[in-house]
Amino acid sequence: MRSNRFFLIYLCIVALQILICNYLNLSYYLTLSLLPVIVIMIPVRYSTIAAMLIAAASGFVVDILGDGVLGLNMLAIIPVALARKGLLSIVFGQEVFAQNEDVTIKKYGLIKFISFIAIAQALFLIIYILADGAGTRPFWFNALRFGISLVTGILVSLFIADTLAKDYRER
Amino acid sequence: MLKKSSIVSIILTAAIFILLEVAALSMVIHGGELQNIWISRFSHSVMNTLWGSSESVRDYFSLKGQNEDLAQENYRLNLQVTRLRQALGQEGDGSDIVGDGYAGEFRFIPAAIVKMSRNKQHNYLIVNKGYEDGVRPQSGLITSRGAIGIVEAVEKHYSYCISFMNSTFNVSSRIGSQGAVGPLSWDGRSSNKAILHEIPLQTIFSQGDTVFTSGYSSIFPPDIPLGVITGSGIQDGTMYDIYVTLLEDQAALRYVTIVDHTGRDEIIPLEQMEEEDDEE
Repeated sequence: MRSNRFFLIYLCIVALQILICNYLNLSYYLTLSLLPVIVIMIPVRYSTIAAMLIAAASGFVVDILGDGVLGLNMLAIIPVALARKGLLSIVFGQEVFAQNEDVTIKKYGLIKFISFIAIAQALFLIIYILADGAGTRPFWFNALRFGISLVTGILVSLFIADTLAKDYRER
Repeated sequence: MLKKSSIVSIILTAAIFILLEVAALSMVIHGGELQNIWISRFSHSVMNTLWGSSESVRDYFSLKGQNEDLAQENYRLNLQVTRLRQALGQEGDGSDIVGDGYAGEFRFIPAAIVKMSRNKQHNYLIVNKGYEDGVRPQSGLITSRGAIGIVEAVEKHYSYCISFMNSTFNVSSRIGSQGAVGPLSWDGRSSNKAILHEIPLQTIFSQGDTVFTSGYSSIFPPDIPLGVITGSGIQDGTMYDIYVTLLEDQAALRYVTIVDHTGRDEIIPLEQMEEEDDEE
């Protein structure tokens, strides 16, 4: 039941990401992606393989239905799913796995949560921006795009993570 | 020491990761291949159905401005035709454009843009004319103030086109009416900026000079004004890169003309023969 609710929200956010890809083209310098936060928020009990398959499917759906180069979101999101458990371990410690519980801002604090989201966003954006530019864009352009997208991505991701955490807290 | 089951799990995870990444990477790498066009066509037809309405709304709200532009262009063209006829001592009877939009070696088909990407590195557009309207792949997309793209794939009522705002696209261009020729490509950032490459250092030009299509291709007619020179830089000490501000803002387009070179079927085999000779 708990998983069902999570994945219902997950599907809604994937749909939102498709809408963002199609309609929210605010600037060349802004790549707003919600995929990293929902992938790292997949419940802890799910294995890395399961997370990678879910992430690949999500990335593929966004690539197919959104504007852009086919495979780009999929390419960038799979490493985030691979790094998910390592990130949880580094940022929150082994107790997350020992208690098999989902992470929330309320329990672990804002700083740790921002670090968690920032690393995932950064990993995603580095791959995405490099693959999208394909060596044709100057370093300063990529760096500026990375910086703006990272800050915006963290702010939006915090809101989404908080929404998911509310879902956990309510139960 | 790691347990045997952990090692198997790590190997399995790595194998699946590599497999998924290779699949994603191959999709990205083969972005311009037939398979991608096929998938793109599918996804774009879905997108046309699902998201096309937003372009209709945009079209609706920009109709007034578009109509004003079209009226001005129509007036200017009529004026040009009248002056030319007067200069030639002819009365106008409309016989210079024959039948279904033919003019000389080129056939022109008016079309509207139904979908366009603007903020990507590899932008595309979809126009509302397909093979039933006589559109063929490798036809050009133009306006009176620019080269807009090339038709890549054709469906019954729609065509998928590579935009000028695409890092793989370039147009053979000429400085002025008699000047040096080189490939003009998008600068990758602005919708109205481009770079004219491979211009020899001895070329004389100045800011404000107009850049035209050269006509050295079987896609675009010659002498379409594309933009004006705004600056230049020397590339590798051997050639000029000339910065051009385009006359047409590529991101604000609604209507284009598809231009099809009627002699292209004869030109392409000749080009292929030349390429085979070069390889030998």
